[in-house]
Amino acid sequence: MAQAVAMPKFGQMVEESSIVKWHKKEGDSVRKGEILFEIETDKAVMEVESFFEGTLLKILVKENVSVPVSSVVGYIGTPGEAIPATPPPTAAAAPVPPQTPAPAQPAKPQPAPVQQASAALPAVAPRAPASVRPDGLVPSDAKVTPGARAPAPALPAAPARQIISPRAKALVKRSCIDPSPIAGSGPGGRVQERDVRAYMESRNYSAIRISPAAKKLAAAREVDILRVRGTGAGGRIMIHDVERAVAERPRALTKMRQVIARRLTESFTTTPHFYVTVAADITDLLVFRKDLKNRGEVYTVTDFVLEAVIMSLQEFPILNSVCDGRTVRWHGSVDLGMAVSLEDGLVVPAIRNAQDLGMRELHDTAASLAARAREGKLTPDEMTGSTFTVSNMGMLDVDTFHAIINPGEAGILAVATARDRVVARNGKMEIRSMMNMTLSVDHRIVDGSLAADFVNAIRKKLEDVALWTSLT
Amino acid sequence: MDKFDVVVMGAGPGGYPAAIRAAQLGASVAIVEREKLGGTCLNWGCIPTKTLIASSELFHAARRGEALGIKAGKLEYDYAAMAKRKDEVVATLNRGVEQLLKANGVKIFEGTASFDAPTRVNIAPAGEGRDTRIEGGTVIIATGSASAVPGFLPKHRRVVESRAFLDLTALPSSLLVLGGGVIGCEFACMAAQLGAEVTVVEMLDDILAMLDSDVRRELRRHMEQDLGIRVLTGKPLENIEASASGVSGKAGETELKADMLLVSVGRRPVTDGLALDRAGLSVNERGFIAVDAACRTRNASVFAIGDVTAGSTLLAHAATAQGVTAAENAVLKTRKPAGSLVPSCIFTSPEIGAVGITEQQARDAGRKVSVGKFGFAGLGKALASGEPNGFVKLIADSETDQLLGAHAVGPHATDLIGEAALAIHGEFTAEELGRVIHAHPTFAESWMEAAHALHGACIHAAPKRRK
Repeated sequence: MAQAVAMPKFGQMVEESSIVKWHKKEGDSVRKGEILFEIETDKAVMEVESFFEGTLLKILVKENVSVPVSSVVGYIGTPGEAIPATPPPTAAAAPVPPQTPAPAQPAKPQPAPVQQASAALPAVAPRAPASVRPDGLVPSDAKVTPGARAPAPALPAAPARQIISPRAKALVKRSCIDPSPIAGSGPGGRVQERDVRAYMESRNYSAIRISPAAKKLAAAREVDILRVRGTGAGGRIMIHDVERAVAERPRALTKMRQVIARRLTESFTTTPHFYVTVAADITDLLVFRKDLKNRGEVYTVTDFVLEAVIMSLQEFPILNSVCDGRTVRWHGSVDLGMAVSLEDGLVVPAIRNAQDLGMRELHDTAASLAARAREGKLTPDEMTGSTFTVSNMGMLDVDTFHAIINPGEAGILAVATARDRVVARNGKMEIRSMMNMTLSVDHRIVDGSLAADFVNAIRKKLEDVALWTSLT
Repeated sequence: MDKFDVVVMGAGPGGYPAAIRAAQLGASVAIVEREKLGGTCLNWGCIPTKTLIASSELFHAARRGEALGIKAGKLEYDYAAMAKRKDEVVATLNRGVEQLLKANGVKIFEGTASFDAPTRVNIAPAGEGRDTRIEGGTVIIATGSASAVPGFLPKHRRVVESRAFLDLTALPSSLLVLGGGVIGCEFACMAAQLGAEVTVVEMLDDILAMLDSDVRRELRRHMEQDLGIRVLTGKPLENIEASASGVSGKAGETELKADMLLVSVGRRPVTDGLALDRAGLSVNERGFIAVDAACRTRNASVFAIGDVTAGSTLLAHAATAQGVTAAENAVLKTRKPAGSLVPSCIFTSPEIGAVGITEQQARDAGRKVSVGKFGFAGLGKALASGEPNGFVKLIADSETDQLLGAHAVGPHATDLIGEAALAIHGEFTAEELGRVIHAHPTFAESWMEAAHALHGACIHAAPKRRK
């Protein structure tokens, strides 16, 4: 029997993945260990090898369609072999979307609002019946364009399918307009040619002036010229107007940005944040760091901040915990997250058991994680599970900023650029290197005084060169 | 002190249209000119050269008239008479500009303009007399450019740039041209048509390097084979000397001698003495004034147009378009950009017309284009006229079929380019241009044929051999 190829699950937190590139076509022979496809998860793009030997009989999940992990994406077997009509149920439970059609499920356990009038309706309304196939896969319908960066076609598909006559369709195409707002007057709401004409008249289509080249481009890129503002003489639509309309189309966010959007929105809207800023005087630390450097021992300012945070978290374990609103759970170890910015997004690799690392090990681990993050070579497990995060924008020339807490953590420290400032010291004005640090914390478990003590503990450590002398 | 809404510095092809347009819009306008109305174009550029070229073309054609059944006997030309006619044409146009300015109520000041303050202009008369100061709500700088003459060249009456050449009343029997740009090539062709022995020396790999190689090749072949011009490229002209007996130099290993050396190595913007700093302005490292698409300088009340501006094409009609735009923006307080599609015409033999991008530019930009070419050898009118050489070509975007560039080399190329400029400006597709019915028999049919050729549907050319 043909072997089902499943969407692999990389890392604990990954729920969905999409294949960005199939390396084989249907009918190609596949050897065990050969690259079959590349997937993009929440975190990264990875190559997937085949576990099976044979011929790729069927591709079920096309490129750039997101499916739950463990979903069957294709079959490998011998040519002519039958493929199961319904794929065998996949092992891992994937929460969304449902693996089997929803209507078959019993009603929800908790009492639902009584709906007398609609008793005849199924207990659980199928939310998007057209979007889930019996095999549990999100279909690769025509609205999915290849290439993550390709302009996405108009926004989410119209709720109901529009029925349109061939003549009407041809007119729509010829006229470079979007038919979706057109109400059909034909049988069953079918859009007829006369409906298109009436619509065009109501939108004053005949007044549109457009250059021949612009119209050709609009047709090729399916731009609705009724929505293009012309900037040529007398409002004539020129080629750059159509180019602008194409450029202004909504595009799908990359997987990584979608994850960032979801997680940060969740954190910012469900966790009550508050912020405490202090300025650390790192003048002496910078001198000390330079001395170390001259002796051949290189450390970054981030290394010192990370170490100061690690030590302070051990003094204030509540900052190294997570709250869900009803319970609070302490983390037994410090798995320190460090935000690393990438070309189009950011990742937060975790330094595991950071409390057990000496300064040299900490430096090496941080450097290696940052380098591999930028190369996109982090393993999924390295990108998850941090317990507190440091975000250093010191190299980006900022005075201060407020970070959003990573979901599952109690706080995040935002480190800004160290600047020479005139400060009062022992009753005199002096020029010192001052570095602002802003702590964002979850107010559900941390109050103002605790946050102040914690952030000052970090500051004092950074200002205490004797401490660093003993640690390095 | 007299006050005007608009003060224009320079009455060349940029300045005087700017002054007239501003006056048309109801502004009080003053224009300052230190030499002659009409500027370089009218007095020492476009117009006088084309007047001389008209004579040389006619002479050249008459000498070859036998092919068309004309026997003209012994032909002679009188260069002094040609030069005199040139002066008359220039004088006529000169008076025309003056009348136009006066008819529009523009006040003309003779003298050299400079800034006194951001909107105050000082005018120093050429001869005796006191300076005049006028105030302008807006000042438009239109001071143009002048021939660049490198300092290493000997200062001698046998070493001339284009303006001094036009003052000659006798044609040298041999001419050495330094610089194979537009001006150098035009003068070379004109002198060669009149029988002078001409050598062009260009340091770059080819003459007129901004053109596509096929266009250049066509021109160069004619210059060398039909006109007998010696074209030396890829080498600088060195050891230049001038004496009472002639000029000499060396290009690579080749020793060159001639009666006269024409220097045409480029033009420099004229900003000296303007005291731009008093208007809060400065020039870039190459001496040009930076402006935005609406011709505004860094100073909100000062505009600049034409050859003096950074990014200028050094073409009269570009200056005119900018002048009109600047005047409208100044008077109407708008921010309209000046057109950027500037056709260029080269009055060599054969003529060249170009508008939009070249094939080379498309390639350099990584743009996918289709090219349609049509040779005059396939055109009835060209054969009937005894002018079967040259071609036109169209460059269109592969996806949208939008016309992006048009180039013509051959008879009437400089007039033909107008239609192509209209089509490109209107964002025509090649298909659309091909559908326009062109009168037969005319040279303009070549565009229609080239548009068809672009889609492999040319009627009057054999299909490309199928692979």
